[in-house]
Amino acid sequence: MTQIELRNINKHFGDFHVINNVNLTVADREFVVFLGQSGCGKTTTLRAIAGLETIDNGEILIGGQAVQDTKPEARDIAFVFQSFALYPHLTVFENMAFPLRAVGTTKTEIDKTVRRVADVLQIGGLLGRRPSALSGGDLQRVAIGRALVRNPKAMLMDEPIGSLDAKLREEMRVELKRLHVEQGSTTIYVTHDQIEAMALADRIVVMHAGVLQQVGTPEAVYANPANLFVAQFVGSPVMNVADVVVSGRGGGAEVTLSGAGEGFAFPAALIDRLQAAGAQGKPLSLGIRPEALEIALTPTEGFVTAEAHIIEPLGSHDIIDLRMGPGFIRARTKSGLVPGPGTQVYVRADPARAHFFDTGSGQSLGIAL
Amino acid sequence: MAHIELKAVTKLFGQTKALNDVSLTIADGQFFVLLGETGAGKTTTLRLIAGLEKPSQGQILIDGQDVTRWGAAERDVALVLQQYSLYPRYTVRQNLEFPLKSPIRALPAAQIAERIARVSKTLRIEHLLDRKTDRLSGGEMQRVSIGRAIVRTPKVFLMDEPLSALDAKLREALRAELKDLQMNLGETFLFVTHDQVEAMSMGDMIGVLNKGVLVQTGTPHEIYTNPVNTFVARAVGTPAMNLLPGRWDGQAALAEGVALAHPGAAQAEGRALIYGVRPEDLHLESGGPLPVRVSDVENHGVEKILTLRLGAQMLRATVPVTVHVAVDDAVRMGWNPGRVVLFDAGSGRSLRHGG
Repeated sequence: MTQIELRNINKHFGDFHVINNVNLTVADREFVVFLGQSGCGKTTTLRAIAGLETIDNGEILIGGQAVQDTKPEARDIAFVFQSFALYPHLTVFENMAFPLRAVGTTKTEIDKTVRRVADVLQIGGLLGRRPSALSGGDLQRVAIGRALVRNPKAMLMDEPIGSLDAKLREEMRVELKRLHVEQGSTTIYVTHDQIEAMALADRIVVMHAGVLQQVGTPEAVYANPANLFVAQFVGSPVMNVADVVVSGRGGGAEVTLSGAGEGFAFPAALIDRLQAAGAQGKPLSLGIRPEALEIALTPTEGFVTAEAHIIEPLGSHDIIDLRMGPGFIRARTKSGLVPGPGTQVYVRADPARAHFFDTGSGQSLGIAL
Repeated sequence: MAHIELKAVTKLFGQTKALNDVSLTIADGQFFVLLGETGAGKTTTLRLIAGLEKPSQGQILIDGQDVTRWGAAERDVALVLQQYSLYPRYTVRQNLEFPLKSPIRALPAAQIAERIARVSKTLRIEHLLDRKTDRLSGGEMQRVSIGRAIVRTPKVFLMDEPLSALDAKLREALRAELKDLQMNLGETFLFVTHDQVEAMSMGDMIGVLNKGVLVQTGTPHEIYTNPVNTFVARAVGTPAMNLLPGRWDGQAALAEGVALAHPGAAQAEGRALIYGVRPEDLHLESGGPLPVRVSDVENHGVEKILTLRLGAQMLRATVPVTVHVAVDDAVRMGWNPGRVVLFDAGSGRSLRHGG
């Protein structure tokens, strides 16, 4: 049982408040990903849990015990960094055996453990090689293997696959997850890459400026972002965000991008919901993901006219920049749906997948239609 | 405006063949992307066109003129690199003025001011003109670098991974901006990258380089749907195309004991084939021909990526987020036979391309 708990932790570097009153509970066997830009405090938080940084105040509990004043080696936590940090003069076997020798494990025990972990990581055939003879992916597997042999209470990983190329990253992602399922150690993983976070996490913790912005499953963070920062950080291409005016039209509501002539049709319930959320008279932003925009090539009831500008054909789908009023909005469509730039198209925003934010505070109004 | 042609260009660095008999035509006003991994020869190609290297064999033509022996300055090309190489103590305006004040051009002040006004408007850096370049963000610096290339109104723009030092969000934004810029200027762009998303999204044409050889040239659509061999098939698209080794049994290709339907012509019996199918062309289908076990589910919000085990093979499939499957579920998959590409197992060449 290794639960990790952070209670009101704070940390300053001089005047800079790098961790701002963070509270979080990571459950036993959970895979939690800290996601944020560089400088958001995610690595500092991870290092604080490992004991490599002190905190100004607050409590860090590992398996129910307060460890904030304990030395790193006493916390029994394994740490994997982006740089592999292997001993170049030792073989893969010796690199992996190193942490076990340091604590005086018997020879047969070392042999058994190293081989078992190497098999899990599919590097059983590489045990006799030196690091210089390994590819980037294999180096990272060895580094992870070295962390695992000790059978630590928890694994902390700081952008462990950030320096690998795109294809290899994709493969390693799947392997890391499989490894977690098999080994089941409580894991905290730090990355700036939202794709990794979505793919790996049981829960994502989005950080910005030292503050937790949102904690939730990948599905929840994607479908119900708490604020504009999360909305635009998770998902690619980024969620469209535009200032809008909401008005009544016929029996329904109309959501008009500022400066545009026509507006998107919404159910009348929107006006009541906005009122209930206390958003009346406040500046509003509409957030809509590219895949929540429907495109028709012929005039269709309830669809707004737009002109296709740049088309990015990505093979499996297209991303299209649509000119709407003075600005642009991006949509995701089937490959080849819109024949070329300059085509007139008709767009609908799916009300069920639209988000409304208070422009001033950036907070989501939590309106679900 | 310029038309570029490489005729049977080979470049040797000592014993290494950096480029091997490359012939290539870039039409006037085209956005051409060279895609390849590190060491594929993309930067060498760019430097040869810029005149920073001389070919060991072959010819380089710009607008029909043989420029093979010309120096870099005579060719009138602009180069934008990954590193910004701006003068740090100069303002943005001074950086932009610099190429115009050089003794070769020495334009009158009024003309310089007019060009800078136009360029900074195009690149939306008007508000930055009086700032020192060390006070700019990465994206702003890259815009200024591009601006410095544009003010000269060169014949050709050569860009070597200009976006790769930027973070993901900025890259996404600048991708669209660069494409927009090229469409407005109507100039010839040669853009070099290892990022297939950049190549697909920006290129009118893509040239895929592998170890100094130009493997395929085509529109993004051609490269994606009709790759010439398994190398190109895996070079574009994420997750990569599934490549299943199989064998022709007289009626269908067999892989892992399953008959795989496709519209291809009959083959010699027993022929070893590779069956290529893109992750988005695989779908869950009860009673479908492929019995698989779910090994991993990644939810990316917009879609789910499934990793599936078929015998000893692993397959990737992209499915809508509304599909609910769990790890270890046994499910059946179907596919769209019209989208399947067959490759010869020996040469890796697509049968549609004479493999």
